[in-house]
Amino acid sequence: MDFAPVELTPEQQAFQREVRAFLDEIVTEEVHEHERRTGDGFDERVHLALGSRGWLFPTWPVEHGGAGLDDVCARILALELARRRVPYVTSGTTGGVWPAVERYGAPDLVAELRPQVATGRVRFCLGYSDPESGSDIAASHTRAVRDGDEWVINGSKMWTTGAHNCQYTFLITRTDPEAPKHKGLTMILVPLDSPGVEIQAIHTYGGERTNAVYYSDVHVADRYRLGEVNGGWAVLRGPLDEEHGDGRGNGLDDLSIGVGYTREFQRAIDAAARWAKRTSRPDGTLVADDPVFLDRLGRLVVETEAADATPGPMGRNKASLSFIAGIAELVDLVGPEALIAHGGEGAVDGGAIDYAHRFAQGTATYGGTTDVFKNIIAQHVLGLPRLRLPGDKQLVR
Amino acid sequence: MERFELRLQDFSLDDDQQAVREGFGDFFTKEVPSSRVRDAEPLGFDADLWQRLVAMGATSMALPEAAGGDDATLVDLVLVAEELGKVVAPVPLVSHVVASRLLARAGGAAELLTAAAGGERIVTLALQPVVGSNRQLVPDAAVSRDVLAWSADGLALHTLAEPAAHVPNQGSTPLAWFDPAAGERTVLASGPEAEALFRAAVAEWKLLTAAALVGLADSALNLGVEFAKSRRTLGVSIGSLQGVAFPLADVVTEIAGARNLTYKAAWYASHEPGARPDLPLAAFVQAAHAATESAWVSAHTQGGLGFTVEADISLFFLRAKGWSVLGGDPGADRRQVAAALLASV
Ligand SMILES: Cc1cc2nc3c(=O)[nH]c(=O)nc-3n(C[C@H](O)[C@H](O)[C@H](O)COP(=O)(O)OP(=O)(O)OC[C@H]3O[C@@H](n4cnc5c(N)ncnc54)[C@H](O)[C@@H]3O)c2cc1C
Repeated sequence: MDFAPVELTPEQQAFQREVRAFLDEIVTEEVHEHERRTGDGFDERVHLALGSRGWLFPTWPVEHGGAGLDDVCARILALELARRRVPYVTSGTTGGVWPAVERYGAPDLVAELRPQVATGRVRFCLGYSDPESGSDIAASHTRAVRDGDEWVINGSKMWTTGAHNCQYTFLITRTDPEAPKHKGLTMILVPLDSPGVEIQAIHTYGGERTNAVYYSDVHVADRYRLGEVNGGWAVLRGPLDEEHGDGRGNGLDDLSIGVGYTREFQRAIDAAARWAKRTSRPDGTLVADDPVFLDRLGRLVVETEAADATPGPMGRNKASLSFIAGIAELVDLVGPEALIAHGGEGAVDGGAIDYAHRFAQGTATYGGTTDVFKNIIAQHVLGLPRLRLPGDKQLVR
Repeated sequence: MERFELRLQDFSLDDDQQAVREGFGDFFTKEVPSSRVRDAEPLGFDADLWQRLVAMGATSMALPEAAGGDDATLVDLVLVAEELGKVVAPVPLVSHVVASRLLARAGGAAELLTAAAGGERIVTLALQPVVGSNRQLVPDAAVSRDVLAWSADGLALHTLAEPAAHVPNQGSTPLAWFDPAAGERTVLASGPEAEALFRAAVAEWKLLTAAALVGLADSALNLGVEFAKSRRTLGVSIGSLQGVAFPLADVVTEIAGARNLTYKAAWYASHEPGARPDLPLAAFVQAAHAATESAWVSAHTQGGLGFTVEADISLFFLRAKGWSVLGGDPGADRRQVAAALLASV
């Protein structure tokens, strides 16, 4: 057990200064404005700038396009990126998919893509969720049929976040509709500029943009297949397990896989705390002096402390669910000002609470819903028996 | 607060800490079957168990070497308290250890300290500042004749001829009314430093109680989970139903966070005292909540049986509140946690 400040070597201190100076330069107000406008979770200029330093895959060796950073420097970088709220969705999906490409892709494909993901020119998105089955990923119906050296893909995916900024989607397809559900799936890295791919925007009230992607007779060369034909489930598990996390760190990384959610919550809480110190109620009393306000705010602070200390799949649920419950309470505490958006007159800390209240809601859905996580916790943490359902092993509509 | 500080985030136990946990875990599991908890009711004190715990070194380990201790840290104590909570052991360890440490820091008499380290004299602490002659309920005062209390003129040791009369209570704890006028009163220290010592001791009490509540919550949950695995309805195990499983999953989530928060709070209190005075209070709030949730959810999972005195969950349900309430309304702690945040933004 250790929570001590990390002592930096002179080189690490220099690196920290370098990171800060570089990010101050590239993460401008315009970047945040772009993010508020598009909800892309991605900024190409920033992404390429990070890639030019090897900071998209910072621990990769330099000859692979990384920066060869040690764990401490990687952590320095991660903290500075988080502090500046650098858009992270597409860099996250790219980083999450890469291990599956590296492990299951043909060597020439890996050799071709590695330098390009490192510079940031190539990005990956996740093509898991079918319109009919988000939670039940293995029930995917999007069809891929072999045609000589190619696959012909027909179907559609919902929620392919970042597709409009990516070069490939990590697509789960049905290659054998007769086989048991998990045994008829194949993963294909589909080039998104292929004829027959159509990307349509979907907007959330969290401000995010995601996409519906339609596939009509899309021809993809077999070299983009990852892993065995009908062996896609094993290929997909890799990034999924990464996304769900195992709760074990190197002693430097945050314990909770939901830390990104909790940080947004804390940002709103801090905004409310500053607001309370400068705001008087109509009767002239300072909000910060109101014991009822403090009691209720304190409860939210405790929730964030608990969330940050919660490991494994539980950490994600705690982060999402405490955020959703708590941000509603925070809005009540601050009142109508809380819901004034960025740029509006009287917006609290640039609309931090307004944003957090909207953003929080999606956190319980993407990456696997909190209910799916409760199933995981019940079975794998508590050892409770699994309910047998008709669709466990078979494809049933 | 600096939210992006570069600090280690290592919640794991090292070998020594693991040994403390296992040593005391084995001790408590072996010594304290639920029948022993029942036998100690309504006072909630088992003198023989206390002797054995003293022999394990629990009362002396966290005292300074000069006072006959081993300089164990609050992290070690948190591990012991958690194991104690798992079996809801009827011993006043938390109050006694906290009060002994305070006594050592405030320059208490060597003779009393030695007796406290050896467990022969049980000491306790009045958690609320004394105002005038107002009495207050003090944890474990029914088995202790040495009560430390803070008032405007300083930190005082009140020594009574006999422990005060036990007040039977829902949690079967050795609770008693403390009358500041009773017994012999010696002021040990005064001024802001003494007050800081008192406040730190209250925070320590809350931290160790938080750890005990984590252990309590953990065992309560296990009773519910085991029941859910074997009980059946409509041809399936009830634990496979999400209406049963999900509340249990929520509870284990609350407990996991509470446990790690007590660790983190204990680490800060040992290594950087003063840096995060809000953490022990946050841990207490979270642990009290987790214990309350766990006990009710587990009892409910067990249907009508969970509402009977025969069911062991009754022991945990009654103590979840019976122990946590001794620390006062968590609302007061929440206000302090918020005040710490306001001071830092
Ligand atoms: C903003 C956003 C971005 C996303 N980005 C991506 C992406 O990049 N790539 C991608 O592939 N997907 C993405 N998703 C999809 C996301 O993973 C799914 O929405 C999610 O898995 C839920 O699937 P669904 O929407 O089909 O709901 P359903 O699965 O139909 O679920 C509906 C409700 O039923 C509950 N439920 C379902 N199954 C169970 C069960 N077994 N036990 C208990 N309750 C259950 C769910 O919790 C939910 O409340 C994104 C979604 C959103 C909102």
